[in-house]
Amino acid sequence: MSDGEWVRSVLDRYEGRLVRYAARIMKDADRARDVVQDTFVRLCAEDRARVEPRLAEWLFTVCRNRALEVGRKEGRMSSLDDDAIEARESPDASPALALEDRETAGRVARLLAALPSRQGEVIRLKIQEGRSYREISRIMNLSETNVGYLIHVGLKTIRERLRTRADLRPKA
Amino acid sequence: MKVHPDDPRLTAYALGELDASERAAIEAQLADSPECRRAVEEIRELGAMLEEGLAAEPALLLTDAQRSAVVASADRPHRRLAWRWIAVAVAASVVAAAGVGSLWMVREHRAAKSELLGNVREILAETSAQSNHYLFSESTDGSDRSVHFAGYNSPVGQVPPTGRSGNDPVALFFGGKGKPASTLQAIGYVGDSGVDGDTAGAPTSTEAYARIDENPFLDVAHNPLSTFSIDVDTASYSNVRRFLNGGQLPPKDAVRIEELLNYFVYDYPQPAGDAPFGVDVEIADCPWNAEHRLARIGLAGRDVPAASRPASNLVFLIDVSGSMNEPNKLPLVKRSLRLLLDRLDERDRVALVVYAGNSGLVLPSTSCGDKASIASAIDRLDAGGSTNGAEGIELAYDVASKGKIPGGINRVILATDGDFNVGVTNEGDLTRLIEEKAKSGVFLSALGFGMGNIKDATLQKLADRGNGNYAYIDSLAEAQKVLVEQMGATLQTIAKDVKIQVEFNPAVVSGYRLLGYEKRMLRQEDFNDDAKDAGEIGAGHTVTALYEVVPAGKTVPTPAVDPLKYQPTPIPGATTGSADLLTVKLRYKDPEGDASRLLEQPVVDSGSTLDRASDDFRFAAAVASFAMVLRGSPNKGSSTFDSARDLASGARGRDAAGYRAEFLGLVEKARAIAPSPDRESGR
Repeated sequence: MSDGEWVRSVLDRYEGRLVRYAARIMKDADRARDVVQDTFVRLCAEDRARVEPRLAEWLFTVCRNRALEVGRKEGRMSSLDDDAIEARESPDASPALALEDRETAGRVARLLAALPSRQGEVIRLKIQEGRSYREISRIMNLSETNVGYLIHVGLKTIRERLRTRADLRPKA
Repeated sequence: MKVHPDDPRLTAYALGELDASERAAIEAQLADSPECRRAVEEIRELGAMLEEGLAAEPALLLTDAQRSAVVASADRPHRRLAWRWIAVAVAASVVAAAGVGSLWMVREHRAAKSELLGNVREILAETSAQSNHYLFSESTDGSDRSVHFAGYNSPVGQVPPTGRSGNDPVALFFGGKGKPASTLQAIGYVGDSGVDGDTAGAPTSTEAYARIDENPFLDVAHNPLSTFSIDVDTASYSNVRRFLNGGQLPPKDAVRIEELLNYFVYDYPQPAGDAPFGVDVEIADCPWNAEHRLARIGLAGRDVPAASRPASNLVFLIDVSGSMNEPNKLPLVKRSLRLLLDRLDERDRVALVVYAGNSGLVLPSTSCGDKASIASAIDRLDAGGSTNGAEGIELAYDVASKGKIPGGINRVILATDGDFNVGVTNEGDLTRLIEEKAKSGVFLSALGFGMGNIKDATLQKLADRGNGNYAYIDSLAEAQKVLVEQMGATLQTIAKDVKIQVEFNPAVVSGYRLLGYEKRMLRQEDFNDDAKDAGEIGAGHTVTALYEVVPAGKTVPTPAVDPLKYQPTPIPGATTGSADLLTVKLRYKDPEGDASRLLEQPVVDSGSTLDRASDDFRFAAAVASFAMVLRGSPNKGSSTFDSARDLASGARGRDAAGYRAEFLGLVEKARAIAPSPDRESGR
């Protein structure tokens, strides 16, 4: 496979996941796309042999850092206050809201959204993206123990909420 | 080791994170602790539920333009990515003083090589189905749409003036200034843009398609003449592609056979003598009906560069922000650019810069000798993102300056709805920059699109400062005027008002049917009426039309007409003393002329079989088959997606630009999507 073909196949496999991931961080699908585009453009400039063995980890790491970087920069430059940012996330731009209609997905999204953001993020990386604790620790620049702890606490909180709130309990 | 039910290691165990020895240790503990066992069970249950819920979340995709940019980078030879932040020399000091220096930096995406765009198409063809849903509401009241065909007496005013290429579809496709007329059967759909504002590769939010009633079979005895205007529009193909790549079959009326046919480049012979275009007719078996013949009329515009015209170095700067995602904005921009592109030739260069949240070079300055690449880059443009006009302008000027042609037309052409996010910089700096650039010989033309949102004043001012012109484009007709007739006064139209009239010989032919061109039909009297305008042809253009011909002696699938009472009824199969199958007549005017000229060419059917026909012939037939199957046409005969694919795959020819390969991909895609044999078997 030539490098070009390789990048295309990586695009096909990871594009959707990365935009979804970045959109969570940035709370904006369009800006997430820009970030993911940047991520892939950077991938093109990387040494394939070096990246390939830990491709997913590399992609998520670069994507995350870039998303945070852009978010910080825009935060600094933007004159918008938080209310305005909320307003800008109109219902049709927010990935979270689009899911509300789907029963399980909506329930799960609400449960995760109620957690502290880092807990939600590690759980998504683990369960949605299938990354290992070790990969997550590198992506998020945390210790592996810390990742294990965050996931544990997050899942425990959800379990407790499910126990106390019947409306959130999964069917059967 | 003692494990408590609230130990993170239990979670790690339940999620399969532990290695063999750690697992064994935990399992030893679990044996003694029902509490721990229950905790593990709960975590696993929860994990399964989360997994299910999270798996249902849609993946969001990049826009086509973004993918193009990535692929362009991928195919660049290995080189450390240059995140080059260019402070434009002229403006730097001013800007830095204004304290917004960081936003005046331009990111440079390098080198999208032209041949790569073929690859982009391939990738896009692979793009998985998106999570868009369309509501189809099809009106079933199809009674009063007139069919315009030769000899039919349409009420004046109902036949649209078919003159300017694309005049007619404007009102239909773009919604014009109002709703589609009531006689049009509109199929509207709305993109469920719940997640992403821009629905990459998917149809824009509201579109309406005029109902197409296919030209019927006509018997030669009553209808010896078939008259229509040429049409070089190709929008339907891109539209069909957009649907199929989005995992949907297109609405029937979005499939216009002639636009699919004319999307492809055919290798027709160049004109002899001083005629502006050549006419080539080929006849062979009709692939979808063994009884019938298929006649293909091909026009090839003369490929002559006008020596007097200065070469152009054009940089299109295109706003692809979310607000452009409306039918009368980006889609119209794209079609407008295609119109202009048609007038350019290999001495000209075109680059595409887009701006939205990030700006980027989606097509580096590319010779118009490679129009296919440019056209496909235009097709790929996709709205999404917020606007940062300033960055985009910087980048566009940079590209224009680098490719400057001394003595040529050096111009940045800005296409936007004017929703500039110039808030981050200030407008004074922007106009100063534009002024500086104008002095250096790179001018700015501003084209405003869309309604309501358009900020005329800003654009007007920018264009004034840039020694350029500003035009507001609300329809393709206006684009034609601005981009082709005005700007293109220096560019090249080789003939205008091109009409085709085919006369069939009743001794050889009993009936015929023109595939497509429903919107382009003219009355037979219009052919010699120089006041009736028709389509234009540019240098290097090809136009293709197919007739399905019923040989004499075979039954024409059309209802019988009663014999005439007051004059002799024409006799089918009458001897005419000629072995011609048909005669093609063409009328055209020189670009500056008012009087038409006539070209005439009689054609004899030599009885060629399909396998002896040219690749171009077979490919065009395959495209027509495909279109008819997509339309669920009653005339599709034995056509299926499979037969279209088989026919096309043996007729790819050189296909340097990869268009035909892409077509094959689309056929496959349609075949996979087709819901039921319903559509396949016709309705």
